[in-house]
Amino acid sequence: MPTTRRQFIKRGAGMVSLSLVMPKIWLSSARAQTLANRKILVVIQLSGGNDGLNTFVPYTDSNYFSLRPDLSFRDTELKDDQGRTTLLDDRFGLHPSMGEIKALYDAGNVAIVNGVGYPSPNLSHFLSKDIWSTANLNGGAGNGWLGKYADQSLFGKSDLSAVNIGGALPKAFFADKVVVPSISSFANYTFQTDPRNQGDRINQLNAFNATNHRTFPEGSFLSTLASTGVDALAGAQEVTAAVARYTSTVTYPAGTPPRGNQLATALKMAAQLITTIPDADLLYVEFGGFDTHSLQIGSTQDPDNKLIGDHAVLLNDFSEAVKAFYDDMAAHGLAENVVIMEWSEFGRRPQQNASFGLDHGTSSQMFIIGNPVHGGVYGQQPSLSPTGLDGAGNMVFNVDFRAVYATILDKWLGADSQAVLGSRFEDVGFFG
Amino acid sequence: MATFDFNQAAHLLRRMGFAGPPEEIDALVTRGREGAVDHLLNYNQIDNKPLDDLLAASFDFTDPRDNEKFNQAEIRRWWLTRMVHSRRQFEEKMTLFWHNHFATSLSKVEERLMYVQNLTLRAHALDKFDTLLLNVSRDPAMLIWLDGITNVLGSPNENWARELQELFTMGINDVVTGQPNYTENDVKEIARAFTGGRFRQVRGSEDRFNLEFLIVPGQHDNAAKTIYGQTALFSWEDVITLVSAKRATARFLVKEIFEFFVYPLTSSSADKATINKFADVYESRDHSIKDLMRAIFVSDEFFSSRAVFGLIKQPAELVVGAIRMLGGQYAPGTFERRGSSNVLYQSARVMGQDMFNPPDVNGWDLNLAWINTATMLDRFNFSNNLLNNRRTDLPGMFVTNEQLGKYTKGTAKKTVKKFLSVLGPLGVTGNAVATLKDYLLKDNQGNKIEFAVTDQLIDSKIRGLAHQIMCLPEFQLN
Repeated sequence: MPTTRRQFIKRGAGMVSLSLVMPKIWLSSARAQTLANRKILVVIQLSGGNDGLNTFVPYTDSNYFSLRPDLSFRDTELKDDQGRTTLLDDRFGLHPSMGEIKALYDAGNVAIVNGVGYPSPNLSHFLSKDIWSTANLNGGAGNGWLGKYADQSLFGKSDLSAVNIGGALPKAFFADKVVVPSISSFANYTFQTDPRNQGDRINQLNAFNATNHRTFPEGSFLSTLASTGVDALAGAQEVTAAVARYTSTVTYPAGTPPRGNQLATALKMAAQLITTIPDADLLYVEFGGFDTHSLQIGSTQDPDNKLIGDHAVLLNDFSEAVKAFYDDMAAHGLAENVVIMEWSEFGRRPQQNASFGLDHGTSSQMFIIGNPVHGGVYGQQPSLSPTGLDGAGNMVFNVDFRAVYATILDKWLGADSQAVLGSRFEDVGFFG
Repeated sequence: MATFDFNQAAHLLRRMGFAGPPEEIDALVTRGREGAVDHLLNYNQIDNKPLDDLLAASFDFTDPRDNEKFNQAEIRRWWLTRMVHSRRQFEEKMTLFWHNHFATSLSKVEERLMYVQNLTLRAHALDKFDTLLLNVSRDPAMLIWLDGITNVLGSPNENWARELQELFTMGINDVVTGQPNYTENDVKEIARAFTGGRFRQVRGSEDRFNLEFLIVPGQHDNAAKTIYGQTALFSWEDVITLVSAKRATARFLVKEIFEFFVYPLTSSSADKATINKFADVYESRDHSIKDLMRAIFVSDEFFSSRAVFGLIKQPAELVVGAIRMLGGQYAPGTFERRGSSNVLYQSARVMGQDMFNPPDVNGWDLNLAWINTATMLDRFNFSNNLLNNRRTDLPGMFVTNEQLGKYTKGTAKKTVKKFLSVLGPLGVTGNAVATLKDYLLKDNQGNKIEFAVTDQLIDSKIRGLAHQIMCLPEFQLN
């Protein structure tokens, strides 16, 4: 699998300085600008391969129960912790941990695209992630789909118009021109100096700026290093100033120790950027742990309890975090401006394995959430009958994931999906 | 005899290892160019007992199932500890090179097998290339990473066969002639030669790291294969020999080594000639990696102005090198008392180099690929952490005032020059020296002060000076 990984920086790093140093005007007029007609996209990647069948449960399909005698949910079991049903209609229900998503669905703000996948599915985590990230079915090489979009539409905007919340940059953001920063914590996203010698900080900043503002031969490593250093400092100062202004009435869920609700932590950071930086409009969050080969349900002590286990905790974190983020956006007057797109590199095998878990699968569903979305179920439930499954016992997709991307690019971001994806895809319809 | 001065010795140690303090560089100078290269190259002759003792006191890798003592964090900490403390610096650097070359990742492979692979890479790091490659082809981590264990008679998986040629030996096209090196049919046929490979714990051994390779007879394709136009009953070993003997492989390896250790190559005829020159060494020295590396490190190309500071520091080079150059401390602690000793691998990770977890089979891209606004901040903040952590009682990294005092001279200007020398030696342009000198002579109110060496000065301004130098663009170069 040849890749041109991070080639974008090789070609793009020299351009960093052009796009940088955010206008100071934001600091004073951020509030006014947030009311403008922003089109914000937050991408949530559920990493490891989320089990679609137990997320969006086809509770009337007898094949579902025969394939998963221990890991399936009956309609009577599809109730959240308050005893409220999570059934969506006469065929499907949400996992009982997803009460908050159920409420958003009932309000018409959740589109569930069923049967999403791609031809000749790859069951390797990293290859399938690459394929989804690049929208390149041929091995997942090249730049990311969001990187291509950013090159097309965000180049020349501020350095924070697209941000990855987390460590390493996800491949979806690999680009030619735009360099997307990864911010794993705001505390670290600042130029740190000796805490014991704070009075010297101004001397240090002055010395840094003087040495890094020297001129170096154009195109040299030194030239790029110096300009990137200057930009890094300027950007960090802007982020610090901006997120300090964030206030919210919403409390994000802490989750269960020791892991905690990491998605909530990340989405809160996204909210801090969105609400204080007027063009922070493309945010990316990865939430891992979905590779539930074993103990998907229950625990060693309590193997039959379907309301506990890895998958239940993860979906509960997802549901609570998304709800808090949604509420936060609404509290900031941005409910009409934000769309969340959830994806995972594949679903899991319909048939359970011997470890109370599920091996790698193929087709799954995607959640598109937000007030701009026309709620409902799109796409078809793939057949679970013995003849309907593929040779490896996996589901056959009926909606190409690139059609979902295209719908978002064209109908929400106002971009040219054909230029980003290389082909034209049918509108899935969740924006009407 | 070629000249060999302090700057050249420092360059050699930065590239063959992870840099070092002035006294180590001085010791290399006295050996002369070839003597210094031979000293670093013949690392098996260097006594490494201090490292061995430290590792024994710090890590307990007896049972990979004991997740507290053996896990992904522990193997990363183990390797960074080696990089800082090993006197056999070239062993660590060469192992890093092969890790990047045969890039395998924790994203798919369990840490036990990644650790075993690291041991295999270091054991054969300077071996005949064929031998290294054979061991990699049988390596459990690689068998999983590139799906060798699912490559069976009648249902071949081409993943290994493809990367073997494309990334590990010759490349799709010859790096000199541009001609295609193999066909899709070669990939298919080579995949057949590698069918049926498995690994298992050695029978009768309690050691779960003690793994052996075997070929499952019924799953191995014994029939004739047509590879590179020849048809024969090619075995697993035959294909290793075949690809290792290709001229294209010699050239590709030289290119990979140059870009990691010397300077990035272009498609110029001069650079093609350089590739051919060292490819000749690979061939004439029976594919000896050691002899090839020696030829490169003693060459004029290696000491050319194009090479010196011609690369951008990899994150591991930055974090390990900073400690080593300053004569700082890195105490790895133990699994029970870790302090902040994970800081080294975590710092390299946020800068883009997560040990044992390269982004994909292509490994890490070098030079400007490391650099963006976020990773630059991470580089600056690592330097701040190193200089301003004064918890010398806990595992982690720090530099003592005593150590910093050694490089603090009688005047501000001499002090700046000394630290630029220790942290490089860096040649800086423009007003950088003046700026740094002015920084040393400013108090917190911005007033000019007299330069007087005191503990207080060392604990404040000298720490600040070293941090500032590590934030120079020049310091990011290797």
